[in-house]
Amino acid sequence: MSGGVVTGGWNFVIAAYVVTFAVLFIYGVTIITRLRAERSRAANEANEQ
Amino acid sequence: MNEMKTGPSAILLAIGAYFGFVVAVAQFHGVTALSLGLKSGTIALLAAGCGVAGAIWFLFANDQIDSWRPAQVLIGLGLLCVGVGSYYGLFVAPPEQYMGEVQRIMYVHVPTAWNALLAMTLAFVCAVIFLFRGDFKWDSRMEGSIATGVVLAFLLCCQGAIWAKPTWGVWWDWDPRLTTTAVLLFAFLGILALRRFVEDPARRAIWSAVATIIAYVDVPIVYFSVKWWNSLHQQQSTPGTVSKQFWLPLRLNAFGILFLMVAFIMLRSRIASMRLKQELAPPLPAAGELGEAV
Repeated sequence: MSGGVVTGGWNFVIAAYVVTFAVLFIYGVTIITRLRAERSRAANEANEQ
Repeated sequence: MNEMKTGPSAILLAIGAYFGFVVAVAQFHGVTALSLGLKSGTIALLAAGCGVAGAIWFLFANDQIDSWRPAQVLIGLGLLCVGVGSYYGLFVAPPEQYMGEVQRIMYVHVPTAWNALLAMTLAFVCAVIFLFRGDFKWDSRMEGSIATGVVLAFLLCCQGAIWAKPTWGVWWDWDPRLTTTAVLLFAFLGILALRRFVEDPARRAIWSAVATIIAYVDVPIVYFSVKWWNSLHQQQSTPGTVSKQFWLPLRLNAFGILFLMVAFIMLRSRIASMRLKQELAPPLPAAGELGEAV
């Protein structure tokens, strides 16, 4: 901080963007993986019947 | 994909994109003819309203279809918008007068906040419709909305803490806006936990719908907390108080995260729906019973 103005801070900006993309990516991959697992389970059950 | 069902959402999204992006770029370059004589507040309202309505229409028209295509379209659009918006936010938009480079966090923080509250609102709407209609597809949509809303609320708190440190000097403060947001996160996390513990699908759906309606009371409190109490957090900005140079990255990221959120809700509610089908399916007869039946 210099005279009421924030100076620098690129490390915080990069951290915020990295956290954003990481959380969205991990959540997206988790959902797709879980949905694939559910689908294959449902397909297996249908085959057994 | 059902073209008839996605047609209205495409029209709404096109109107939203026109007022959100095309008019914003034109105004930035001094071309006012494209704004059709509308004020900046009305243009922002049209962009947000048509964008959200189009995305939600797309969600409800496609979330019961057993295809990856609708979610793929939304994820593709979302990544494109977030990619271009973040590039503009990081490298093209100028630093803010007082907060300098740190203000660039706004381009991901504010869209995350808008979409987190929107996901909670969707959950509330699904809960109310479920209680009136008793159709379990609304229960699945509610679960998808809550789970995605919780992820966005968690992300919102992380981004807020990262922005708070260089501007306020602390990672966290028990300020009204921050506290009510944390309450919102844990309230909806509690509803997801409740759904894990209740085995009976009907009871689980009713209890979690009622809990969602109660927890939703916190959403307007979060929104108005900066107006009702003295808060470190700044009050809501309007298009009139935000520089035109900041509009495009903010809107691109808002639309991008909206598309990703809708795709996640679509996929997450499909998981909930498939699990529900498994729970409600009658048990398979044992080998002996099958022989007797034949």
